[in-house]
Amino acid sequence: MLKRLLLALAVALAASEASAQTKVSRGLKINADGAIRIYNLVGSVRVIGWNRDSVLVRGTLGKGNNLHMGGGGAGMKMFIEGIDERNPAPADIEVSVPMRARVWVKTATASIEVSGVAGSLDLYVVGGNIKVTGNPADVNAEAIDGSITIVGSPAWVRAKSASGDVSLNGSSSDVTVSTVSGKIDVEGGRYEKAKFESVTGNIRFAGSFERGGLANFDTHGGTIEVGIPKGNDADFEVVSIAGKVTNRLTSSRPVAGRYGRGSELNTTAGIGGTRVVIKSFKGPVTLLRKD
Amino acid sequence: MTEDNIDDESLRNLQAQTAKLPREITPPADAWAVIKAEIERPRAISGDNGAARVSPIWQRPAFLAAAALLLVAGSSAVTAIALARRNVEGTRVTASQPAVAAERPVANSNGAPATLAEFTLVENDYISTANRLSALLESDETQLAPETIAKLKESLRVIDAAILEARRALAADPANKQLIEMLSTSYNQKVDLLRRTTEMGRS
Repeated sequence: MLKRLLLALAVALAASEASAQTKVSRGLKINADGAIRIYNLVGSVRVIGWNRDSVLVRGTLGKGNNLHMGGGGAGMKMFIEGIDERNPAPADIEVSVPMRARVWVKTATASIEVSGVAGSLDLYVVGGNIKVTGNPADVNAEAIDGSITIVGSPAWVRAKSASGDVSLNGSSSDVTVSTVSGKIDVEGGRYEKAKFESVTGNIRFAGSFERGGLANFDTHGGTIEVGIPKGNDADFEVVSIAGKVTNRLTSSRPVAGRYGRGSELNTTAGIGGTRVVIKSFKGPVTLLRKD
Repeated sequence: MTEDNIDDESLRNLQAQTAKLPREITPPADAWAVIKAEIERPRAISGDNGAARVSPIWQRPAFLAAAALLLVAGSSAVTAIALARRNVEGTRVTASQPAVAAERPVANSNGAPATLAEFTLVENDYISTANRLSALLESDETQLAPETIAKLKESLRVIDAAILEARRALAADPANKQLIEMLSTSYNQKVDLLRRTTEMGRS
């Protein structure tokens, strides 16, 4: 009897919660390359590029939330306003935008997912995660303790997190990734101008360098592993103040550091042509072949 | 001369004290007259054995005056670098700032100081910038969730530990340019993290 009563109560509560949520579906005309700003503290934001000159917002707003949106052809903005700004109810929204639009999204803990946008992206989260899929012109993604994942080939990438991980799976002609303790993982793709830096986070690169490019790897205490495939030529300059340098890529051996401590390695893979500078204070550095 | 045995507390105190030093001071009114007179004096001074003894270059008034000017100029340059370093990583068009250079933080290792003396000047600037941002963040702290603040503080602790470790190594090996670059990178990361968090906290 008590079980039935509790079950009924739970069903009633769930129904009440559901009825407190509001479904939204709203649209607005915008130019194909218009600027769109989205602000949602909690929940999720999903942005999808489509082949229309308009913006469509669909989703579910938490209790007391209101969606405000407005603007013209050149630009528009939308934000979720909650009754209690200190403890906002989550809002889950999906925003379809013109493929070439420039998109700016800021959240607190809401996750951000973007796919199919060819314009530029500015994405900011405090504690949520960011995921970008596709080939936007450029991506600026910043998090404090959230992770950042980019699958695709933006021409320009800036990705920064503190304790969150950053992973790239694609190519870019100009990329900078920075973390404090978060891991940096680069899988595949070709990179021309690249910079990867962490304080204690491990850095793993398994991609290729464009000829004539410049790549920098910096860490204080994380590990650095750089693997390139056969046929990818590069000139490596490796310095570690107190860490071990291991070379499984060429026949060169590390030597004692020029300041009487640590170790250094200068070596060329193939015929060289791309400058790769690796600096570590105490994290171990490994060069290897990835085929 | 090394200071490898400096303890953490002393280093922090020293950094706090140097951060409080004024950017410039006005020299005494009669300073130039004294400097001029010293410059015009014969440079060779007779020693006891009758041989000419040349005073060390770092003790000469002209050198000291030039050093003072360099210090002031260097200090100003550091300020200029600090103000300019927010846009060194390229330009692009953003949704928020169409056709304007995107704000990018802090110089990278390419702009790192080359000597310990240069670095010391820049370090003071890093410390005062970091202190200013920390104070700003403290005042805005309520806008960020407690767990975010905790994670931020943990990240700052990680960076500070790295700075301290590299600083100690640099004290033992002051000519090591790689260390100076690494230390500059760590300071850049600290300032950048504080700036980003401050901006995110201001919704």
